[in-house]
Amino acid sequence: MESSSLMNDGLTLMLFGMGFVFLFLTLLVGATTLMSRIITKYEKNVGVLPEDGVPSPTAVIPRHGPLANPHIEDKTLISVISAAVHKYRSRHK
Amino acid sequence: MILIGMLLLYLAIKKNFEPLLLVPIGFGGVLANIPGAGLAEAGGILHLFYTVGIESGAFPLIIFMGVGAMTDFGPLLSNPKTLFLGAAAQFGIFATLMGAVLLSTFGIFDFSLADAAAIGIIGGADGPTSIYVASKLAPDLLGAIAVASYSYMALVPLIQPPIMRALTNESERKIKMTQLRHVSQREKVIFPLLLLILVAFLLPDAAPLLGMFCFGNLMKECAVVDRLSNTTQNALINTVTIFLGLAVGSKLSADKFLDFTTLGILLLGMVAFGIGTACGVIMAKLMNKLGGSQINPLIGSAGVSAVPMAARVSNKLGLESDPHNFLLMHAMGPNVAGVIGSAVAAGIMINYVAG
Repeated sequence: MESSSLMNDGLTLMLFGMGFVFLFLTLLVGATTLMSRIITKYEKNVGVLPEDGVPSPTAVIPRHGPLANPHIEDKTLISVISAAVHKYRSRHK
Repeated sequence: MILIGMLLLYLAIKKNFEPLLLVPIGFGGVLANIPGAGLAEAGGILHLFYTVGIESGAFPLIIFMGVGAMTDFGPLLSNPKTLFLGAAAQFGIFATLMGAVLLSTFGIFDFSLADAAAIGIIGGADGPTSIYVASKLAPDLLGAIAVASYSYMALVPLIQPPIMRALTNESERKIKMTQLRHVSQREKVIFPLLLLILVAFLLPDAAPLLGMFCFGNLMKECAVVDRLSNTTQNALINTVTIFLGLAVGSKLSADKFLDFTTLGILLLGMVAFGIGTACGVIMAKLMNKLGGSQINPLIGSAGVSAVPMAARVSNKLGLESDPHNFLLMHAMGPNVAGVIGSAVAAGIMINYVAG
């Protein structure tokens, strides 16, 4: 009699325990996803550049001389790249 | 018994098996068995370490805080689904509990429900959790359980791969997973608090373990208490490990360790671990069937919590099938989920058995 009650206890604990572990982690998945979504949304509105505004390159050192032409290209390239980076970052936070 | 202590020392020093733990445990075992010195008896220094640190539950909790401070929840946050893998792998714990109960029903062993619960938790492959549960539920078996759980943590690279290979086919092992998204610091700061709130509402019995874990993690992520976080990750956890090891070693005394029960615990622990690994892999395959972004089943095995060994094993097997498929970061998700899962399981056991 005693051993069958031990069996029962063990079985109950197994089912209850496994059920609870899943329940708890499911809730955690839900809560985490929700939290991430809220934060991502919130952060999207923080420090985002104006729509379609091409950010000015901040670290271009102006240089003069015969190599002026490639620099102009560099400048456009840098502003294009930094715009892309900004857009990517604001989308994938 | 002194010889067993020496064997542990040999394994640690020569074979490099979890030396950080087995050196103190082995030496503690040797010290505890010096005839006439009484280091492990009331009044002896090892007995004192044991009473202060393990009987009170303090050492495993402090270690858990350090583990929290070393854990990065980033991979988990960017793919929260992997928490299910960590949950599935806990089935090993409960299956073994059932096994231990069955064995004592047939009269092969004499385990109470509390003993069975403490043995099952070995399947979580989480040293501090096992010690914590054992100190609460089955202090008599503590030596064997601690040694078993730490040796299986060291044996992860040997035990897991055959199970993982048997359950997956080549094309499944080659599944590439989508790149993890960037997780902001704000998310990482809020996550431990969120976890803590859930624990507080649903399972206060897991609050000691997960509370310390969350605290450690918050210290790391909030980035304003770097000094505390560094101490927790290094000096504190190392200090405590020394005393924990010695205290566990002091439980390796001949009359309690050298018997049939210990052998049973070692066997059951191995079974627990194997079932946990298998369930994680199967769960990953099941989740692929249900749709959504594909998961490489190899990371399922990382749901047992041995951090970071289990994740490294997943990565290694993934690379064997496809040398360009790096699974390490993906596997860290279920890996830390396993830590949470086994702490939750521990809380349930303590709640059910003691409460």
